[in-house]
Amino acid sequence: MPRVERDAEVTWEGNVARGSGSISGGTGAFEDLPYSLATRIEKQDGKTSPEELLAAAHAACYAMSLAGELAGSGFAPDHLDVRAVVTLDQVEDGSHRIVASDILARARVTGMDDAALQDVADAANRGCTFSALIEASAKVTINAQLEGGS
Amino acid sequence: MATDRKAEVTWHSDLMSGNGRIDSVTSGAFGGLDVSWAARSEEPDGLTSPEELIAAAHASCFSMALSGGLAKEGYAPKELRTSATVTFQPGEGITKIAIEVAGQVPGMDEAAFKEAAEQAKENCPVSKALAGVPKISLTARLEG
Repeated sequence: MPRVERDAEVTWEGNVARGSGSISGGTGAFEDLPYSLATRIEKQDGKTSPEELLAAAHAACYAMSLAGELAGSGFAPDHLDVRAVVTLDQVEDGSHRIVASDILARARVTGMDDAALQDVADAANRGCTFSALIEASAKVTINAQLEGGS
Repeated sequence: MATDRKAEVTWHSDLMSGNGRIDSVTSGAFGGLDVSWAARSEEPDGLTSPEELIAAAHASCFSMALSGGLAKEGYAPKELRTSATVTFQPGEGITKIAIEVAGQVPGMDEAAFKEAAEQAKENCPVSKALAGVPKISLTARLEG
């Protein structure tokens, strides 16, 4: 498959403590999202942050990977709900690190049992290459549950 | 103090023919963003993708880290314009991220700006989290 490029642009004005920036995606799917240091690490005040964008990336990546693995094992899902929580924390040297990304996946899959789901959920984590990448600094946890009448 | 940010995604049906949506995020700053495998791996047709969101996360993190690094050296940037381009090879993963930054920083010379940009690339939390990407390149220049 051919390689794919996706880009985003940010404009930042002023110093780190009082300045602010604006984030746009190359596709136009999101534009001019404001952010600042204060809204990143203190009160979010309706503003996104790098970690929130990573949470959205991870949830979307994992959802696609899980849909692919389920279909590959003969159980195309009716519906998946995937939530990612990304945690930024201050570490011992005083710098900030992304320390965790916790995934909760709830799957409505006709005919599948829980043990089979757990196997597929692990395979989906291996298949979402972003999961492996961020393990450079973050602990990734996967909690997969069946929902509804399976 | 730890900061948590959450995103919620729903997906319907299988990977190839199904579709998903980034329904909501903690801040409410964006939501209702559709995603699909075709838009991710072929023409985007106005839809975002994990790789675009990673590009946005990296560019925004880098810009903030650079403004912080410049401040430590006594420089206040008027403006930093940063782009991040993420290269995704389906079946393999993210193979490259290219960061470009153009800065307006009164009183600073090009060499010092390049060095500060290099530090921001090494040390911003998203760079640390993406340290496993095979290649992360940086082009930094002053303007104005």
